[in-house]
Order: sequence, then C-alpha cells, then structure tokens
Amino acid sequence: MHDALLPLSVFFASIFTSNILLTNYLGTCSFLSVSKEMKTSLGLGVAVIFVMATTTPLNWLVYEYLLLPFGLEYLRFIVFIIVIAAFVQLTEMAIERYSEPLYQSLGIFLPLITVNCAILGVSLFMVIREYSFFTSFVFGLGSGIGWFVAIIAMAGIRVKLKNAKVVPALEGPGITLIIAGFMAMAFMGFSGMIAVS
Amino acid sequence: MAKNKVRKTFLEPLGKNNPVFVQILGICSTLAVTNKLQNTMVMTLGVLFTTALSSWTISLMRNHIPSRIRMMVETMVIATFVIIVDIVLKAFYPEMWKQLGPYVGLIITNCIVMGRVEAFALQNKPMLSLVDGLASGLGYAYVLLAIAFVRELLGTGSLWGYRILGSWWTNWSIMIMPPGGFFVLAILIWIIRETIMKEASHA
Amino acid sequence: MSVQKTFYKDHIYPLLFMFLITFFCILLTAGIHLATQDRANANELSFTRKAVLDAAGITYVNTTAGIEEAYLKRVEEADGYFTTSGSDGKRFIIPLEGPGLWGTISIMVGFEEDLQTFTGVAIVSQNETPGLGARIEEPWFTDQFRGKRPPFTLVEEGTATASNEVDAITGATRTSEYFRNLANQAADAAKRIVRGE
Repeated sequence: MHDALLPLSVFFASIFTSNILLTNYLGTCSFLSVSKEMKTSLGLGVAVIFVMATTTPLNWLVYEYLLLPFGLEYLRFIVFIIVIAAFVQLTEMAIERYSEPLYQSLGIFLPLITVNCAILGVSLFMVIREYSFFTSFVFGLGSGIGWFVAIIAMAGIRVKLKNAKVVPALEGPGITLIIAGFMAMAFMGFSGMIAVS
Repeated sequence: MAKNKVRKTFLEPLGKNNPVFVQILGICSTLAVTNKLQNTMVMTLGVLFTTALSSWTISLMRNHIPSRIRMMVETMVIATFVIIVDIVLKAFYPEMWKQLGPYVGLIITNCIVMGRVEAFALQNKPMLSLVDGLASGLGYAYVLLAIAFVRELLGTGSLWGYRILGSWWTNWSIMIMPPGGFFVLAILIWIIRETIMKEASHA
Repeated sequence: MSVQKTFYKDHIYPLLFMFLITFFCILLTAGIHLATQDRANANELSFTRKAVLDAAGITYVNTTAGIEEAYLKRVEEADGYFTTSGSDGKRFIIPLEGPGLWGTISIMVGFEEDLQTFTGVAIVSQNETPGLGARIEEPWFTDQFRGKRPPFTLVEEGTATASNEVDAITGATRTSEYFRNLANQAADAAKRIVRGE
C-alpha cells in the first residue's frame, strides 16, 4: 500500500513540504538574480521543470545500468554532470533549430541551468533515497514545479516591491532572502496537509 | 612588486570582493548545513580545497584548453576534486559523510568554484590562482561559519555539539529550520553592508 | 593543407584533449577510491556493529578497534538477530526497517528477555531531511526509548513525562510519526524473529 502511494506523496512533498529551494536551499543563486522580473522567471522556471523532469530519470538509467553494475558509484558526480550538460546542450541545439519563438522564450535559459545546483541536487537525492524509475521521474517533475512556484511567487512579490521603500543596505539580495525566509516558513505550514499512513 | 600582487590577490576575496556578501555566490550548497557548526566547518574546508586546487589546475592548463570545451574541462576538473573530498570523507570521517549527504557533491555546482576559475584562473599564473582560490575559499568559509555560529547557538543552545547556554534558554527552533538560514544570511548581509561597506565608500 | 589543419584544431584536438583530461581525472579518482576502499568498507561494518552495541546498551570505546573488541566479546549472531549476555541478563537485538518520509528508516532495536522492554534503539540508515527529520539519529532522541515499553505516544518536544511518552522532533512531525510507528511494531517483529510466533 505504501509503495504504490510513494510517487504521489513524493510528488506533493517535493512541491510543498520539502520544496527543493525553500527547504533544501538548492538553486538559490539563479533564484536571487532572475526573480527580479516576472517574464524571465517564467522562462527559467519552465526550463527548470523540463530539465529536471528529464535528467532525473535519465540519470537513474545511467546509475542503474552503467555505474552500479561496474561498481563505479563514486563517479556519479562526474557522470551526472556530463549527462545534464550534454542533455541541455542537445536540447538547446534542437530548440534553436526547430522553433525560433520557443528558443527566444525558453532556449536562452538552458545554459544557465547546467550550473544550477538544483538539477544536480535532485539527481543526487534520487540516488540516496533509492527511488524507482517512475518515482525519480515524479520527483524530478515535482521538484521542478516546486522551484517554479517559488520563483514565480518571489517575482510577483518583487514586482510589488519596486514601489516600496527598502532599507538601502537590504536592497537586492538582502530583502529577497528575507522574503524567501518568510516563504519558507509559509511552506512549512503545508507539512500537516498530506497524511500517508 | 610580485609580493604586493600576491597580497592583494589574497586580501580581496576576504573583504572587498567577498564571494558571499558581495557577489552573493555559492550559497545553495552550504546554507543547508549551516545549522550545525561542525558540518559547516567540514563543508567549507571541502569548498576551500576544491576552489584552490581547481583554480591551480586550470591555471596550469590555461593556454592549452580549447575554447569550445572550456566549460566541460573546468567541470571535469572541479568534479574530480569534489569526488576526492567525498571519498576521503567516506573513508576517514564516515559519520560526517552520512550527515552531509548529497551536499558534498553539490560543491561542483557551487558558483564560487566555477566563478573563480572563469574570472581568475584562466587569466593568471598558477601560484597566483592558487592564492586566489584559497582566499575565496576562506572568504566564503568565515561568512558561513558566522552564520552557523548564530544558527546553532540560538537554535540549540550549543556550539559544536557542546552545550553553551544554560537551561534558561528556550531554543529558537526556527534557527535550525530552513527559514532561519535565509534570515540569518539576510541580516548578516545587512550588517556588513551597513557598517563595512559604508566605511569603504567613505574612505 | 590549411583546411586539414583547421579541422584538426577545431575538432580533433578538443576531442583528444577532453579524452586525455577525462582519462587522468578518472585515473586519479579511481586510484584514491581503491586506496581507501578497505577503510570505507571497514567503516560500514563498524557502523552496523556500533548500532547493535548501542541498541543493546553496551558501552564501548568509540573507535573502530574499540567497537570491534566490544562486539566480538559480547555479541553473538543468531538467525536474523543478535544476542548479548551479561550481568544484566540476556538481550535480543533485532534489525527492523520501515518507511520514513523520504525513504526507508533502518534501525536496530534491543530488548530485554521479555521482548517487550526496550534496551535501546540505534539508527542504521535513514534519508530524512537533514537538520530536521535526520535528527532521529541524535542521542537525545534514541536514548528516550531506553527502558520503556511500546506502544509509544508522541508528545511535544521536551514534555514527555509518562513512561510511554517520547518527545517528537520539532519541525519533523512526520518523520517522528514514522519512527514511532516503526518502534511500535518492534516488539511484534522481535517475537516473530526470535520465537517464530
């Protein structure tokens, strides 16, 4: 019973109760700089969902069929990064060739994502928690959506902030971090929501 | 003359060009462990080791790396040093290794390491790059240790696992939870910008 | 002639360089891995043994040698469980696994001869949220169970009074609940493993 429900609870948990950014601090760098504008946040957020949802199961396959059988788990850091970088590169080339508008709204963010710690982090968590193939896909998707929700919310708030007075020393990263702290607190409130027996 | 340059390279990342509160880089992978001073110490040592040695290695090769694959090579070198940290931790410090989990691997994506390599190591000599890497790592370390100091003390009443504050102290549990990390970093940036940066602009 | 040279410079040389670098990096990491592998494996074994000793409530010197000495002296391995004998009577230690928030929580539970009173609990592995759920590994949490009998009820951290109450971990309610469920199953599991009931 528990096994069957695991993907569902992982999905909800990775968006709300264990949000990849607000609980696990991953992906903060680009989060702080990109959330200034709603449009770029949207583009980056969607790109993150896409890359996370695809590279996590991809890395699962690589780990399960390439690394484990040969006892090479300790090389996973290198291998995962290569997989992510290669996948992002290929996707960027494909989008650029086949859809100019998609490239403008999404493709330009792809190189930024390769060094987004969240992408690698999700793959590493997946290994530690020993997820199945399907669960790792759900985990990647959920984490991406969670990151997306966080950055959209932050962008929305910062837009309003443009007209508010902020203590000069806190302008920029300072106030963004404080808002992130409050958002993290709010998301902690979700933890009572889902009960899985 | 050369000695002056070394001095300057060393001091800049510690203060004026600090990776954390000036460049706001590299927060992700370590903020998660700043709720315990001991874990933070190990993590920042890992970052220090990786940044210094990656900068040194890339600088050694800087005239030979084909520009097309520059980022891949950098990532490869950085990942190698991080794996070494991971392996050494697993063998000699297993309890800590279990506690740090995936966050050691995330040093690879830590923007500081890649940032210093791109901004400094590619254009400077190896020894100088080593100094820059060391200094950046140190600049990063003391900021995070300060955060961890506050978080662990206020959140659990102890430091490095040893009880400091007496039973009169009610733990500020929020400090060891995720929001606490964001808040403490924000307040630290606030304090530093108010005091030190202001002085620097007046000087 | 110059086309050939450019082809070499643009395509062959980068490939060669990448290959060479990858080779050296993997060589270096593999070398260090092999050099430390025995030590890492010894640590794994020591860790499991330490869990058994902790669950049995046996004191030992916290070094690999100390753990090995105490283990070989006091612990006997049986079919799927461990026993220790000493001045305080015979004790049974059983391994137990159950779902946690993020994956499986694996523990060792030690019992008095009645297979009801806990002599201790030790975590073998867990994947809970670092800094929150992962605190089940901290001594103050596991020590609570010593000398108590299930079924356990969770109370707010710091308020446990009755003999079957245990402090939950603030901010880690779900993990605490999963752990409590696991602990409550332990006695029945022990009777099954030891007596075949």
